[in-house]
Amino acid sequence: MADKPANPGGRRAALIQRVIDEGGVVLAILGWWSISKTMPSFVLPGPSDVAVALWKLFSEPALVMNTVATTLRVIASVALALAGGLALALVARMIPDLEWVILRRLQPLLNSFPSIGWAILAVIWFDVSTFSVLFVQVVILLPFCLINLSAGLDEIDQEVVEMGRSFTRSSWRNLTKLYLPLLMPYLVAALRISYGVCWKLALVAELFGANSGLGYVMVRAQYTANNALVLATCVAIVLLFIAGEKLIIDPLARRFAGPRG
Amino acid sequence: MAPAADGDALARAARRRKAWWANGLVVALVGAWFATSPFIPAYILPSPVLVLQKFVLFVTTKTYFFHLATTLFHVFGALAISLSIGAMLALAAHYLHPVRLLIRGRIYPLLNSFSGIGWAVLAVIWFGQSDGAVFFAMACVLIPFIFINLHEGFESLDPELQEMGQSFTRSGLRRFRLIILPLLVPFGFAALRISFGVAWKSTLLAELFGANRGLGYVVNQSRQNYETEVILAVILWIIVIVFAGDRLFFKPVQERIQRHYGR
Repeated sequence: MADKPANPGGRRAALIQRVIDEGGVVLAILGWWSISKTMPSFVLPGPSDVAVALWKLFSEPALVMNTVATTLRVIASVALALAGGLALALVARMIPDLEWVILRRLQPLLNSFPSIGWAILAVIWFDVSTFSVLFVQVVILLPFCLINLSAGLDEIDQEVVEMGRSFTRSSWRNLTKLYLPLLMPYLVAALRISYGVCWKLALVAELFGANSGLGYVMVRAQYTANNALVLATCVAIVLLFIAGEKLIIDPLARRFAGPRG
Repeated sequence: MAPAADGDALARAARRRKAWWANGLVVALVGAWFATSPFIPAYILPSPVLVLQKFVLFVTTKTYFFHLATTLFHVFGALAISLSIGAMLALAAHYLHPVRLLIRGRIYPLLNSFSGIGWAVLAVIWFGQSDGAVFFAMACVLIPFIFINLHEGFESLDPELQEMGQSFTRSGLRRFRLIILPLLVPFGFAALRISFGVAWKSTLLAELFGANRGLGYVVNQSRQNYETEVILAVILWIIVIVFAGDRLFFKPVQERIQRHYGR
C-alpha cells in the first residue's frame, strides 16, 4: 500500500481510472435498469421512463413553462442576494457603528435559520406567489453572499484605499474604480456558491410557495405517485445547474477571478 | 505612552458603541414585535410570549419532548452514518487510485448537486415513513460535505512527512495511525462542524416528508393547523441549538485542535 506515488503508472493507470470511471456509470445505469424491471414504476421507474419525463420537462409547453419559471427565479434571486449582500457588507464597512448589527446579529441569525422555516413562513406572510419564492431564496442566499463579500472587503489593502482617496474624494468613484474591481474574485465566489445553493433550494422554496415551477411539478408528481417525474425534476435541476455553471459562471470566473495584483 | 492609551480608550469606546447598536437594535425589534402582534392575527405573527410558551413546552411536556429527542436521535445518527461513509469514500479516493475519478468526478458531484428535497421524497417512496427514510435523506445531504473536507485533508498531506514516516516504520497501519490520522483531525473536525449546522437544518426537511415524529413532523402539523407560534418555537429551538453547539462546543474545540495540530 504505497502512499500515493507521484505518477502512478502513467498513462496505463490513467486509462484504468477512465475505464472504471465510465464503466462505473454504465454499470450503475444497467443495475438501475435491471432492478427497475422487477419493481413497479411508482417505486423505481426505469432509466428510460425518467429520460422520457425529463424530455417532456424541456419540450412539452405546459411543463417547459415551469422549467423556465424556476430558472428565472433562480437568476433573479441570485442577483438580488448578491446586491443585498454587497450593500450589507458595504454598510458594515462604511458605518462602523452598524458593523456588529450586521455581522454579529443578522448574519448568524440568517445563517442558522432553517430553510423550510422560511418556506413555510413566507407562504403564511405572502401567500402563494412568486414574491414568496424570491423572498425565501434571497433570504437564504444572503448570508453566503455577506460572508464572502465582507471577507473580501477585509482583504482590501488599506494603503490602496488611501491611495484612492488621494486621487479623488468622490466615494462613488472610489467604489466603482477601486472597491468593486478588488472585490471581483469574492463576488465571483459568492456568485458560484449562491448559484449552486439556489438550485437546490428552488424545490424547497416552490414546494409550498408557488403554483408554478419545478418544485410545484415535483410535489404534484409525488401526490400522483409519478415517481419518474419526481426523479426527472431532480435530474433537470442537476442538468440546469451544470449548464449554467459551465456556460456562465466558469467563463466569468476565468475572466475576473484571475490573480489579484 | 499617552497616545497609545488614548487609542486604546478610543477602540474601547468604538466597541461599546457597536455593542450598543447591536443589542439595541435586537431589543428594538423584539419590542416592535411585542407592540405590533396584538394588532395582527396570531397565525400571521404570534406574540413573542406565545412563542416562548411553546418553546418551553418542548422540555416540559412529554409529547413535545419526545419529538425533540427524536430529532436529536436523527441528527446524531445521520451524522455518524455520513461521517463513516464520507470517510470511506475519501479513503477510497485517496488510496484506491483506479476509483478516484469515479468518486471525485461522478459520485461527489451527483450527491452535491442533487436536491435535498428530492432525496427526502425518494426516501419516503422507497423506505416508507421511518427512521430509515430520514437517515437516508439526511446522509445523502451530509456525505458530500464530509467527503470534500476529508478529501481536502488528504490532498494537503505533506509528502515529506510521509517519507519520514516510511523511514521509521514499514507498517502502513502504524504510519496511518500515527502520522496521517493526526494530520486529518483538523479537517475531520471542520467537516463535523459544518455538517452539524447543515444536519439540524436538513432534518426538518427530511422529517417533514419521511417521519411521523420529530420536529419536522411537528412543523408540518402546525403548518396545517395554522399554529404559527409552534413553527416559530421549533425554528427558535434549532437556532438556539445550532448557535449554542457551535459557540460552546465546536468553536472552542476547533481552536484547541488548531493549536494542537495546527501548521
